[in-house]
Amino acid sequence: MLGINDPWILLGYGLSIGLALACVLYGLLNWNIGGDS
Amino acid sequence: MAVNSLTLIAVTAIYIAVMFYLGWLGYKKTKTSEDYMVAGREAHPVIIALSYGATFISTSAIVGFGGQAANLGMGLIWLTVLNIGLGILLAFVVFGKKTREIGQRLKAVTFPDLLGKIYQSQFMQVVTGLVIIVGMPLYTAAVLIGGAQFIRETISISYSTSLIGFALIVAIYVIFGGLIAVMYTDAVQGAIMLVGMTILLVATYLLLGGVNTANSSLTAMAPLVPENLAKGGMTGWTTMPVFGSSIWLTMITTLVLGVGIGVLAQPQLVVRFMTAKNSKSLNRAVLIGGPFILMMTGVAFTVGALTNVYFYQTLGKIAIQVAPGGNVDTIIPIFINQALPEWFVVLFMITLLAAAMSTLSSLFHTMGTALICDLWGRGRQCALSMRANQIGVLIMIIASVIIAFLMPGSIIAIATAMFMGLCASAFLPVFAVAVYAKKPDVTAAKASLITGAVVWFIWALFINTRYASVYGLCKALTGKASLLGLPWAAIDPLVIALPLSAAVVIILQIYADRRNGQAVSPVPAA
Repeated sequence: MLGINDPWILLGYGLSIGLALACVLYGLLNWNIGGDS
Repeated sequence: MAVNSLTLIAVTAIYIAVMFYLGWLGYKKTKTSEDYMVAGREAHPVIIALSYGATFISTSAIVGFGGQAANLGMGLIWLTVLNIGLGILLAFVVFGKKTREIGQRLKAVTFPDLLGKIYQSQFMQVVTGLVIIVGMPLYTAAVLIGGAQFIRETISISYSTSLIGFALIVAIYVIFGGLIAVMYTDAVQGAIMLVGMTILLVATYLLLGGVNTANSSLTAMAPLVPENLAKGGMTGWTTMPVFGSSIWLTMITTLVLGVGIGVLAQPQLVVRFMTAKNSKSLNRAVLIGGPFILMMTGVAFTVGALTNVYFYQTLGKIAIQVAPGGNVDTIIPIFINQALPEWFVVLFMITLLAAAMSTLSSLFHTMGTALICDLWGRGRQCALSMRANQIGVLIMIIASVIIAFLMPGSIIAIATAMFMGLCASAFLPVFAVAVYAKKPDVTAAKASLITGAVVWFIWALFINTRYASVYGLCKALTGKASLLGLPWAAIDPLVIALPLSAAVVIILQIYADRRNGQAVSPVPAA
């Protein structure tokens, strides 16, 4: 896939992108939460 | 190709002028020592995210680890997984919010000050400050070397001039503007890095014929793996090394785990949480932090490995054969200078300057405040002596520059992993208990901190061959590179020291909780 055959390398790329998207999702879902100062 | 044009001078001058302007803004806004130390605890979420990310990612990540990826392949992408999963998600969500809350309540201004106040122990503050003063100059010197090497390669000036000039520019705005200046400049530098690394990824794949073609070409180069690396377990640049081999152990335990876990207890990053006004700011910062780190380390490791394809197609050599003296730290600078157009060389130099300066500024600030607030003042004088902290920053800058001149080649990634591993081993269990235990026990914390630091140093000085060779103590005393053979000699000190320090704090904390529980509410006799 995409010129890379080792599933461990592909998994590493998949997890990196997935976790970055999880950060975006977390930020959006909690955008207005925790307003105490 | 050395770029030496009016464009370069003009762009660099504009960049430095912008940094000085932001430094001046920080200087104007710094009225109290709390402003100087924790940016008045009112930083904007975007500034927190970019500042955290830009401090996190330095020339070490781009030049040092990019060079390691050129040598060892794309397996380093697992460091990106940990960087985002632990360095952003876990750091902000699990540790960040509690750190901000406790830091604000206790009015802590540095990481050692935070631990000292939570444990109500001057010992904790002083020893934590001491570990920072001893360990952080190594990492700082590595970042300085990374920036200076690229500047020398690009504008053909001497290494000494490039290193001293570089340190001087950062010194000016850190000393005068404190953490507000550091975070303002970090944010702009983070934005520049994002643009530079995005273009680098696209340009590299376009240059090498697209994603599929470039990756396939790299996969096909597996038979070209040098004999010494193949013997160590390397199988190619798009495959993982053989499980359990010496290269696998170095890649996973030192580069991936050492840096991936180490980032959780980095004093200069923990302080960022204390600059947030509320938890909402940290939630919002996560949104930017994850994709930012992906575009920094993910791109550096991918492009690093792909430089092999470029050098093989143009020179008939793999990347490490192009590097003078086999110094992996020079691979990325050489690739950028040879393969990409001049305008990008200029942009990338600014990107790299930004990466190095954003990390350096925070390291200088953290070391200086640790020296003055935590060691000299032991907490008492932090609030009174902004001038003293400025002098502390200056002293640590001079020390770092001297160490940078003394360090050997191919050191950037190793020195980075060393400092991060030391931080994780010494601080992480203590920090986790400090922010989450109901009654953190000071004896447990002292024992864990000392266990983590001492075991890490013993393993680094006498067992791990790579680290032991940097210090030279094992060779000098015993005549051997390591006191133990493989696989122990390839295992990072973190893998041994962190579980031990964690076990110590957990066992003693449980014991203390039981003892306190019995003291407060004794179980009535039947």
